[in-house]
Amino acid sequence: MSCSRWRWLLAPVATLAASVALAAPPAMLNLPDFDALARKATESVNISLDTSLLGLAAGFLDSSNPDDAATKELIAGLKGIYVRSFTFDQDFAYPSAQVDQVRRQLAAPAWQRLVQVSNSRDRTHVDVYVSVDRGVANGLAIIASEPREFTIVNIVGSIDLAKLHRLEGKFGIPKLDLPPEGRDGKDGKSDK
Amino acid sequence: MSENQQNEALQLRLRAALRRVDPGEGFAPGVMARIAAEPARTARPARAGAVAGWLAFGLAASLVLAALLAHEWQARRLEQGREARRQLLEALRVTDEKLNLAYRAVNSQERAASAEHSGA
Repeated sequence: MSCSRWRWLLAPVATLAASVALAAPPAMLNLPDFDALARKATESVNISLDTSLLGLAAGFLDSSNPDDAATKELIAGLKGIYVRSFTFDQDFAYPSAQVDQVRRQLAAPAWQRLVQVSNSRDRTHVDVYVSVDRGVANGLAIIASEPREFTIVNIVGSIDLAKLHRLEGKFGIPKLDLPPEGRDGKDGKSDK
Repeated sequence: MSENQQNEALQLRLRAALRRVDPGEGFAPGVMARIAAEPARTARPARAGAVAGWLAFGLAASLVLAALLAHEWQARRLEQGREARRQLLEALRVTDEKLNLAYRAVNSQERAASAEHSGA
């Protein structure tokens, strides 16, 4: 059978592949299933909210309630929220291979690292990335590893972090009482 | 016999044949009894009634089924909506928690750097 016989298929298949690639929002990460982590974890959070589920959730927020209205406003520009979080009963029980698989996707120029912090005392490491398209931030990724907790957050769409911060203390979002920025003082410990 | 005589005789015979005759007292009940005894005339309306009955039953059953399906769909949609809302708030909680973790770490590094700077 000659290969030239199938050559006519190349153009439509290439077009289809391109359209599929375009269909996925650029700031959406391909998150592994983390099955191995989930098996070891004492607590797992696996949340995948695409545009339709976000719309459905927004429909169950009461606009007359100020907190619900603020949340509705916050998620108005979002196309998806994906969270994977695992809590363990031992320190550093999670392998780095799958984490590296995610990190490899967070490469320039599509993604820019906003924050990279390591706290040797708490043994925490947090990376915050933003996806920028033509000067507009259209995605956020957070990779946070702590001794007994590992979390990846991927937000697709534009999110106002100040608005998110204003929701602290509501809906179970913890109120952390952080020290005012640029002011010397006591350490900002969580009161969780 | 002349033609006129023949005509008269014919008229007499016709009058005799078409005279009024009393049907008698048993005529009307007899007719009614025959109507009641006719089986074919009553069978047709009964079959039509049965078909109409089944149609009405089918229609009612369809309406009940449609109402049940609509109720089931609405209940499922309500459950999905509540679950989506719960997941959304949980996702926002985790996101804010991790951003604050980064914020604390940055602040802690800044304070350490400024302390080092002022000490030197």
